[in-house]
Amino acid sequence: MLNSKASGTNSNAQPGPAADNLARGEDTRGAVKWQRETVSAAGVFVVCIAALFLSRLINPEFGSLHQLQTILTLASFLIVVSYGQGLTVLIGGLDLSIPSVITLGGVLTAAWMSTLAPGGAWWQIPAILAVCAAVGVVNALGITLFRIPAFIMTLASGIIVYSLCLGVTGGTPGGAAPASLVTLMSGRVAGLPLVNLFVVVFCVIAAFVQSRTSFGQRLYAMGSNAVAARIAGIRINVMTVSTYALSAAFAGFTGMMLVGYSNGATLRMGDPYLLPSIAAVVIGGSSILGGRGTFAGTIGGAILLTIFDMVITSLGLAQGWRTMISGGLILAAILLQHEGALDWVRSIVRRRRSTTTRI
Amino acid sequence: MSTRARPDFSFIRGVMTNGVTMVVVLYVILYAVYSHIEAGALSVSAFSDLVNNTIPLAIAAAGATFVILLGGFDLSVAGVLSLVNVVLATHPLDGAGGALISLLIAVGIGAAVGLCNGILVAYGGLQSIAVTLAMMILTRGLALVVLDAPGGGVSDWISDTLTNNLWGVVPASGLVAIGVALLWALFRRTDTGVALYAVGKDQTAAALSGINVKRTRCIAFVLAGALYGVAGFMLSAQTASGDPNAGAPLMLLVFASVALGGTAFSGGHGSLYGSMIGAATLMLLQKVLFSSGVQSFYIGLFQGLVMVVAVIFVNLITYLARRSHRHA
Amino acid sequence: METATVVPTLNVTGLQKSYGPTIALGGVSFTILPGEVHALLGENGAGKSTLVKILSGVVQPDAGSAELLGLAYAPESILAARDQGVATAFQELSLLPNLSVAENLALPALKKGTLRLISRRDNEQQAVQILERYGLDLAPRTPVSQLTLADRQRLEIVRAISKHPKLLILDEPTAVLSSTDWLFALIRAETARGTSVLYISHRLNEIRELCARGTVLRSGRSIATTELGKTDDAAIFEMMVGTRLASFTRDRSALQQAGQPRLSVTDLHAGDIKGASFSVPVGGIVGVAGLDGQGQGDLFHALFGLTPVRSGDIRVDGKPVRVRSPAHALKAGIEVSLMPEERKTQGIFPTLSVQRNVTLGAMSKVSRLGVVCRARGQKLMRDMATRVDLADRYFNFQISELSGGNQQKALLARVLSTGARTLLLFDPTRGVDVGTKQAIYEAIQNYAAAGGAVLLYSSELSEIVQLCDQCLVVYDGQIVAQLEGDEIDERRIVAAATGHVDGNAIRSAA
Repeated sequence: MLNSKASGTNSNAQPGPAADNLARGEDTRGAVKWQRETVSAAGVFVVCIAALFLSRLINPEFGSLHQLQTILTLASFLIVVSYGQGLTVLIGGLDLSIPSVITLGGVLTAAWMSTLAPGGAWWQIPAILAVCAAVGVVNALGITLFRIPAFIMTLASGIIVYSLCLGVTGGTPGGAAPASLVTLMSGRVAGLPLVNLFVVVFCVIAAFVQSRTSFGQRLYAMGSNAVAARIAGIRINVMTVSTYALSAAFAGFTGMMLVGYSNGATLRMGDPYLLPSIAAVVIGGSSILGGRGTFAGTIGGAILLTIFDMVITSLGLAQGWRTMISGGLILAAILLQHEGALDWVRSIVRRRRSTTTRI
Repeated sequence: MSTRARPDFSFIRGVMTNGVTMVVVLYVILYAVYSHIEAGALSVSAFSDLVNNTIPLAIAAAGATFVILLGGFDLSVAGVLSLVNVVLATHPLDGAGGALISLLIAVGIGAAVGLCNGILVAYGGLQSIAVTLAMMILTRGLALVVLDAPGGGVSDWISDTLTNNLWGVVPASGLVAIGVALLWALFRRTDTGVALYAVGKDQTAAALSGINVKRTRCIAFVLAGALYGVAGFMLSAQTASGDPNAGAPLMLLVFASVALGGTAFSGGHGSLYGSMIGAATLMLLQKVLFSSGVQSFYIGLFQGLVMVVAVIFVNLITYLARRSHRHA
Repeated sequence: METATVVPTLNVTGLQKSYGPTIALGGVSFTILPGEVHALLGENGAGKSTLVKILSGVVQPDAGSAELLGLAYAPESILAARDQGVATAFQELSLLPNLSVAENLALPALKKGTLRLISRRDNEQQAVQILERYGLDLAPRTPVSQLTLADRQRLEIVRAISKHPKLLILDEPTAVLSSTDWLFALIRAETARGTSVLYISHRLNEIRELCARGTVLRSGRSIATTELGKTDDAAIFEMMVGTRLASFTRDRSALQQAGQPRLSVTDLHAGDIKGASFSVPVGGIVGVAGLDGQGQGDLFHALFGLTPVRSGDIRVDGKPVRVRSPAHALKAGIEVSLMPEERKTQGIFPTLSVQRNVTLGAMSKVSRLGVVCRARGQKLMRDMATRVDLADRYFNFQISELSGGNQQKALLARVLSTGARTLLLFDPTRGVDVGTKQAIYEAIQNYAAAGGAVLLYSSELSEIVQLCDQCLVVYDGQIVAQLEGDEIDERRIVAAATGHVDGNAIRSAA
């Protein structure tokens, strides 16, 4: 890293204009090294493809078009939920209430929507999402107004919401899935599963909102430096409330999707999505501190975890191994994201480059 | 030119803002309520029952206090508890000697996990929440691999003796807790004990004062892990069987206990005694609610609320304490 | 006087240290003799704090060598430095507020009693001895959080001296002290014993009283070591800054004296500010000067909605306003923007590119219906970059990879991009090299000439003299002096800033 400075560092130089140049610190580092987010996102997808190829060795069925569609369908839940989680991580927070809100959304959908017309009224969907979003609002209020750490607040609200669900349903949530959701999850359009198309459209819009809108830019700013964001005129409280509300709404919608997929709700339906949602975000290149990462990477992380899940299940490996692998992946991703690791990689690349181009 | 602390006021203020005092008062009040509701509350068996149920949480909260004093988070507590529990349930060792070896194994597992956390956080410079999250997932998975469904059996010696009373009066598990408290009292009088508070408050100033920040951090994680191991050991004595998810329900309670006991999540303030009494208070609250006929699912609700209120309260107290000192 | 055979306490040769692209030290060499109080001079960003860190063992140099009393000196840690005989009283106090005076004095190893456990009583006894020896009247059990800032500074100094160093480093020891008697007496006692002192300060008058020789740093290099008695202020200033006084002249022709002032403040009470009244005319640059912690921070924060206003009147273009928050301050009708004190913690978004940093100030201008338009963003970036003289190729750099000066320019660009008509600049050239300073001065001047109003706080008096039409001096939360035009000179400013308003002859440069 000091190589490019070598020409300027001359300890025998007399003070004068040369010294001023020196002190101005001409930044001669190469430009555009900060697109590491794109690099890491691409990297995840490469690993996905590699995993698919390897899985073929285990089961020749894997990699077929039908299998790919199944993967995308199975991954859809995690993708939607990870978007919300990703937004809270982006601003430097965390949402541990997700499993309970998924359950809330699912329970409300199954129990409530089937009480009015068999298909349920269309306005019930936004109503349920609003209820779920309210949980997010409460989370954000605790975090901003009362300075409760995000981890604690969302953990506590998750337990509270779960207890409420448990109390109200008495342990066995009743009802069935409304027709609209069943169609979404199992219908087909032009030979492709409807849910796959939905996921693709969702991904495009979601990624766009995160990286190309002023809302998204402000989230990055908040995660990068909350104090500076406030001084720059960003309304931290409003943005935090929006973010957690969105996260909860997406979790609620995931609950709806799950109800449509399995035609019913259970109280523990949200549990399998908490740790994988965090894992997908971290593996996809987002920093747990916030201010860095893309949704594209998170999508890759979600798909990768789904593929691993399918492979492990088909291998007959126990859930324990699955959990350990997901934990190991998170750890590896965290280690690789660490500044030191990247700087080391960068310095190797630069050393190789500088030997080919003479300064 | 100089200021002297006005002894009288600052002492009173110190006691009032000391979280331990508040939680002890709370505990006493709750116990009075409890004895009012439940007839046999003041009996030895009821009390030792309560103590037995509380000890795993109390010791786990004690361990977590080390990390929170540093200003960090330790999510791996749930995983270590589960892992220790299933190991003890699938490999029961007989007799007192076996129990001792099991304890050493439990502490060893916890300390090993703590060491991994400590190295990655202190020397690797990674965020504690991320590292301990990964470790929690790993240990949880490992627990599932060792025992994939609730079952197994813990050695009789452990589950009998440690849930019994010594000399008919003193709960054996309580002695373990007192042992932990004594160890903390000793630790506070070591340089590392003082360094812990320094690093948690301002790690730059601590470094400039000559403290080895990295080593202090690492030691804190190892000690925390060791205590989780002991907690897992006591939990196994309680449940007498193994469950790969044994630790999960305790995670929130651990942090609730620490908050209730007056330790701030910002670091540098708090004590282990507070966390342990906070744990006792929470379990007592659970008992009170249960005895007064509140349905079980609402207990979770209450615990969540208590958690939030406790943190708000501690924040409020530290804010007021800081304000009154600002213009000293 | 035998000069040839005296072994210097400290001999430093060619020390260098870089942090990524920033060269903190580019070659520092000097010598300190036993029993000498040696001054270290230099403006902000010259490398003094890096040098202190190296000598204290906090960081290791990339190149160069040092010798302590003839032996090689390359400490790997603070403790190693202490063991070898170097103790430091840091500018950013290194005390722990949640520990007691006695504990802080003894760190990292407290006095042990039986069983190798800490004995509180022994520790306090030891503390009492130390406090008495150096004349510091504090109760050893007091938590440091309850001490005044001045007492903490004294404790920091006593802690360093109590280690019986051969070289005592004092970094800005008098920043918060109102009287220097105690400290100077202590220093003289130490030097009589043969201890050397490296004395870092901005205050030339104090330096002249204590030190015979001084080394001047500029832009990371040691420029010269001089006999202070033989060098006048102007010469020292030239060594520190590199040019003979200001090359920048304020063009006051565009000043509109008549008409509504842009910003008018009456009897403001907020934070530490007690009753401030002043106004900033359209096109005017009003300077604020004062020692650290006299309330200037609260003044700026109150005008920007970061500190609540207890009472008082703030008017923008004649209209009374109550600024609730920074977002509110930037809105139409008020349009006030703040450039914060510390760019690293309060100003820049370290993980984002320079372009994103700058355009975040003007989201509404670069986006349409909430969608960010890349072309507009680039145009805004180019416009701003020309105004602050920021090179094109930096646009896509991650801002944390830029040097301090370029970061400051980018930060100013963001502040300007908000389109605010009033700027509150808090020490805008802190830690920035001379060339960048000129660019920033130009940008400020152009801004004012185009109809903006500027309130500027600076810890460098020469800057205020060059740039400002009016200067407010803050002392103990009040504006104790308002100097206009030619009245603005460093002597008057310093006199007011230290609480003397009777024109004592205090020679001082920045």
